[in-house]
Amino acid sequence: MENINSGDTAWLLASASLVMLMTPALGFFYGGLVRKKNVLATIMHSFFILCLISVQWVLWGYTLAFGPDIGGIIGGLDWLALRGVGMLPNADYAPTVPHQAFMVFQMMFAVITPALITGAFAERKRFKAFVVFTLIWATLVYAPVAHWVWGVGGWLRMLGALDFAGGTVVHITSGVSALVAALVLGRRKGLGSEPIEPHDATMTVLGASLLWFGWFGFNAGSAINAGGLAANAFVVTNTAAAMAALTWMTVSWLHKGAPSVLGASAGAVAGLVAITPASGYVDVSSAIVIGLGAGTICYLAIQLTRRLRVDDALDVFGVHGVGGTWGALATGLFASSAVNSAATNGLINGNPAQLGIQLVAVAAVIAYAAVMTFVILKVINLFVALRVPEQDEVLGLDASQHREAAYTI
Amino acid sequence: MEFLAFGSFALLIALWLVAPSNKGEIVAIEEVKKAA
Repeated sequence: MENINSGDTAWLLASASLVMLMTPALGFFYGGLVRKKNVLATIMHSFFILCLISVQWVLWGYTLAFGPDIGGIIGGLDWLALRGVGMLPNADYAPTVPHQAFMVFQMMFAVITPALITGAFAERKRFKAFVVFTLIWATLVYAPVAHWVWGVGGWLRMLGALDFAGGTVVHITSGVSALVAALVLGRRKGLGSEPIEPHDATMTVLGASLLWFGWFGFNAGSAINAGGLAANAFVVTNTAAAMAALTWMTVSWLHKGAPSVLGASAGAVAGLVAITPASGYVDVSSAIVIGLGAGTICYLAIQLTRRLRVDDALDVFGVHGVGGTWGALATGLFASSAVNSAATNGLINGNPAQLGIQLVAVAAVIAYAAVMTFVILKVINLFVALRVPEQDEVLGLDASQHREAAYTI
Repeated sequence: MEFLAFGSFALLIALWLVAPSNKGEIVAIEEVKKAA
């Protein structure tokens, strides 16, 4: 136990708690954006995933993602049911904290990633199909990609791809899968012909604020030690979120004539997404530029998605897919070894090759997540219908799927 | 990068000064539309 650092361990466990809070916070962020007949079902998506993946991760998810490498593609089954994952540190991943602390920190990332996708199929997906999809997706998409990027021996890690806290692993996988899910499920009944409005904007702002709070654990916790790198990640995370919120609000103000509160909330999340892969590699000036880009690019992406009549109900692709891609590429632009001596420089610091590596990582993860999600959904649909029947959609998912009502007043 | 950072923030401040004042319709809550 002599290698365990109590400060690092305390910070990592606190960070895991912060990231845990993000998933129910996401439920509230999404819950406010749907109609009141679907709010419980939407919150349930996130809460259920917190429970489901907490068990899946300790049984087989962690070993597939971080277990001893098999061909750069997947982890072996050596750590099935956490065999050998105990209180002593693992020198490869986190040499100063108990292996279980690292494992549980990573669990919270595995939890929130499929929860992000749920915003795309909100208000129309059958609960049973959602359960099966989540379990298979977490096993066949999240775990392999996490191994490629973060696992010792993973092929993208060996290639030199930089992803400090999950731009590719979390946000590109979930954002691209969300787009595929939206296309496969089709548009909500009545969209375009009747008002489909957020039922509680205050709930969404509260959810966004709690997401922002939890994101300090997501990014600063990814330093895996309680030191300067964690402090830098904390500062750039807050800066990019603020800048993206200001930018999104400004762009929407110019576009639609008013400074939108929901826009500021969505912008903050877009900034948090974009800074995620870069947070351990860039300084605060770069974070401001990344936030500016996130607020602008993600807003425009959502306008384009809607113009193409894709019903990504809660804009998961625009915020997470596009924001994650911008963040991954921005890491290749702005990374600095002055910030993190373990990293290489990006393009503006004299290393254009890093941008090429980031492009390869982005393309590979987009392609894999898109194809696998499409196949998983089509196979599930052979056994369980993905969508609820039309009358259930009209009634609302709270009543039709859960036999409960959110509000009695 | 510092120049870009200051320039980005200055751009936003300039846009707030020229942004329109309440010309669009309410977009967020249907109930607010009805009340109005």
